[in-house]
Amino acid sequence: MDINLIQEKIEHDLAGVVSGQDLEGLRLKYLGRKGLLAELTGAIPDLPIEQRGAFGREVNALKNRLLKAIEEKEKGLKAQDSISEEHHIDIGMPGIAQEMGRLHPITQIIDEICTIFSRMGFSVVEGPEVETEFNNFTGLNIPLEHPSRDAFDTFYLKKYSKLLLRSHTSPVQVRAMKAHKPPLAVIVPGRVYRPDAVDASHLFMFHQIEGFLVDTNITFSDLKGVLELFAKNIFGQDIKMRFRPHFFPFTEPSAEVDISCIICRGKGCSVCGRKGWLEILGSGMIHPNVFKHVGYDPKKYAGFAFGMGVERIAMLKYGINDIRLFFENDLRFLKQF
Amino acid sequence: MKVTYSWLKDFIDLKIPPQELAKKLTMAGLEVVSLEESAGDFVFDIEVTSNRPDWLSVLGVAGEIGAICGRKLKTANTKEQKLKSKKILPIEISVMDKKDCPFYSGRVICDVKVAPSSNMLKRRLELLGCRSVNNIVDITNYVLFESGQPLHAFDLDKLEGRQICVRRAKPNEKIITIDGQERSLGPEILVIADKDKPVAIAGIMGGRATEVTSRTRNILLESAVFNPTLIRRGRQKLGMQSESAYRFERGACLSSAINASLAAAELILKSASGRPCGYKTLGRSRLASRLINLDSAYAERVLGKEIPIIRIKQILSSLGCQVKFKTKNVLVIEIPDFRQDLKLPIDLVEEVARIYGYEEIPRTIPAVRPNDEILNTRDLVCSIKNTLCGLGLHEVITYGLAERSLFAKSGIKKDTGLVEILNPLSCEQEVLRPTLLASLIRCLAYNLDQQQEYVNIFEVGNIFSNIGNTVQEEPVLAIALCGVHSFLTKQGLIKDDISLLHLKGILEALFIKLGVNDFDFRQDDNQINIVLGQKQAGFMLDLTPQALSNFNIKNRQVFLAEINLKQLFACVDLNRKFLSLPRYPGISRDISFIIKQDVAVKDLLMTIEEQGAPLLHLARIKDYYQGKQIPSGFKGLTISCVYRLKERTLTDEEINPLHNTVCSLLQERFGIKLR
Repeated sequence: MDINLIQEKIEHDLAGVVSGQDLEGLRLKYLGRKGLLAELTGAIPDLPIEQRGAFGREVNALKNRLLKAIEEKEKGLKAQDSISEEHHIDIGMPGIAQEMGRLHPITQIIDEICTIFSRMGFSVVEGPEVETEFNNFTGLNIPLEHPSRDAFDTFYLKKYSKLLLRSHTSPVQVRAMKAHKPPLAVIVPGRVYRPDAVDASHLFMFHQIEGFLVDTNITFSDLKGVLELFAKNIFGQDIKMRFRPHFFPFTEPSAEVDISCIICRGKGCSVCGRKGWLEILGSGMIHPNVFKHVGYDPKKYAGFAFGMGVERIAMLKYGINDIRLFFENDLRFLKQF
Repeated sequence: MKVTYSWLKDFIDLKIPPQELAKKLTMAGLEVVSLEESAGDFVFDIEVTSNRPDWLSVLGVAGEIGAICGRKLKTANTKEQKLKSKKILPIEISVMDKKDCPFYSGRVICDVKVAPSSNMLKRRLELLGCRSVNNIVDITNYVLFESGQPLHAFDLDKLEGRQICVRRAKPNEKIITIDGQERSLGPEILVIADKDKPVAIAGIMGGRATEVTSRTRNILLESAVFNPTLIRRGRQKLGMQSESAYRFERGACLSSAINASLAAAELILKSASGRPCGYKTLGRSRLASRLINLDSAYAERVLGKEIPIIRIKQILSSLGCQVKFKTKNVLVIEIPDFRQDLKLPIDLVEEVARIYGYEEIPRTIPAVRPNDEILNTRDLVCSIKNTLCGLGLHEVITYGLAERSLFAKSGIKKDTGLVEILNPLSCEQEVLRPTLLASLIRCLAYNLDQQQEYVNIFEVGNIFSNIGNTVQEEPVLAIALCGVHSFLTKQGLIKDDISLLHLKGILEALFIKLGVNDFDFRQDDNQINIVLGQKQAGFMLDLTPQALSNFNIKNRQVFLAEINLKQLFACVDLNRKFLSLPRYPGISRDISFIIKQDVAVKDLLMTIEEQGAPLLHLARIKDYYQGKQIPSGFKGLTISCVYRLKERTLTDEEINPLHNTVCSLLQERFGIKLR
């Protein structure tokens, strides 16, 4: 009988041992009175005399190895028992980790939008909340006494006749274009202020994101392409879009951008006012008068600009029905995002 | 602005149902915000942008439909009749300043029979939300809605001296308007006056004394063009709004003023009998024509789409322009006077694109060339916010405006004056905030009221102050902590009472993350100054009991910090340089002792570091305790000293005597008692 084969068989059997009971079975199988080793020892007298000595020594060695292996296995099993008793975990118990804080949902939407435009090569620029009347109005081709200003009711500062709280992020267009020569691809997030009575959809402070691109060859079709890319990124690839003619003093041609209602998918519901469309953006080609104000040659350069309300987009995306929730800062609200 | 389907049909053959028409109008820039069926008719409510006063009329909308659908308008062409001089009843009209009133016309109609209007007229007006008064007043309103030109009818016999004078009101002059209100006027208000007194607020509302009533026999019909800015200022000043003012402040047009007077006269003669007794005008009767050249290549360059020049010509013609070829590629366009908004070639490009259809213009992606001059701090702000969130804090956003009293309540001192708002709608919009902390306290108190046990919030925003004669606006970071932080560990629930040290820990972690190397916290009178690069950049404090009670916060402490971000950014260093890891192990020795409360641990550590140098690598506070085993007035501390050299392993024989001298020195100098 081949001792090596027996050794392999023993190792295989040992590997399968997971309990004391298994181990006892294995011991009996090999070392018991009628075990394999006893059988081998019993076979010695039948061997030719010159082989007996060597075979006997091999069997003995095998027996010693086996005894040692069993002893080790026994230790291992005992240790295992004690560990699993002490470390028994009910996985239904709460996990242990430090609680993370959250970014405000408005910050999250701003980050998401800025990231989309950054990937397209736009740089983030910010501007002050206290602005000059020129940057907020005149520089943007908004006459001071004209009904087009009704859309931009504005807080003025006491003691400073020409200073106001910006009523949109567009003044940063004027600032950025005065500071830099084209090409210019800029995205501007920020707070804006308008004297509005507070209700579920109006506040006197909210956030806007402005974007503009100026170069020698920018077209209205580029505006459409870029805004479609943006809207599909933020609202999903399956939305539909439409560009409606509109009027903004600082763009010409101007367009309002609607997306198919993300709630009813265009069928008409209370969120979209049964129209099937949601207005999300104002946009257009930068007016030649704006270029003149910042010292760009309107014959040489063209550009588009767009602006959107961040709260509106957040409300649509998250299904929030009251704008005041954003600034109440209830932790139960903030922790949902 | 409202128009009805049936009224539009007076001027244009409509072959499409109202719903489809609404869609077409919306996509041409006249957004139909509602379409309602009413008494067999359809009422379109259209949002008219402020650049298009010509759309504030049935005729204007019909004209637009004509351009969209490629149809001609059906318009009557009435001519002014010449009257024999003996039939004319003389009136005197004067305009003080042509800038205030570039055109004024008065038409006299005698022997009218004032009566209720016809049902058709009444119904049309009522569908647009206009109350019927009598046939004369209704006709002026009817023509206003149809043509967009506001008209006014006076009872001629009540005009003192049969005189009309268009002039500025005198100081403290008064008028009772047709709504029964007495209005106080002044030189910034334009009025229509007779010999003695104002009889109407020009372009805004007529006066009660001269209104047309059932007893009126002779009327004066006014049709004029007023200075839009003057009308706008006047109605703002008086706090009034009317259909008439709404149109005048957007700009009336001369040809409409002339046509509307004629159309109204015709209706009056037809339905209220009467006879024409004269027509008098002042001011320009024709405007010089305006010409704009448009190159089809320019349109293509703007739109990114080639539109055939023939199509461009046809679109502009359909909008009422006279269009001729100047060269093969350039058109010369004569702008009609009702399109004051068309000033530049770009305005014509928009008109072409609008009627051609924005949807027909392709979508392309431009090659964006980024401008590498532009630097910003937004990434740093993001990094700060993310670090704080990682430390468990929640970001809040509060209003940049607040009521003055909020800052007094918080007791947080700011030396510089508050920046005040000129026109707040309510007290919560009174001032620009000089600190974020007051809003954070309010937010924290609100959350405590919602049964939050632990509030840990931060905000990044701008604060405002008066410095000299300018407004200074600076970004700051503010943090507010309060309550008991309970969390599970393997040993069970731990309740951690939030303290100023928690706030310090958050700031330290933030500074280290931003690579700010030189920072310190220094005790001042009522606050702890945060010192960055040896300059004060902010402060920490716990809120006074008075302020706590002002915000109704009970049995809790509130910990606050505010840091100037410009100063913080100046100290940021995001470069990192690798330091090789120690090759030889250090030897660590702990000292456990009790010490008087008032000994500053900063001094203690400094002494250890001085004495232990150069073998001492680091000394830090490993544990501290107060409680039963510690006598009152004392605190227990364990300081861990790590001795290490870069070049070799240190031996106990080297360390023991050194460590002993450190301990002795502490006993000597600070009176520590080893435990």
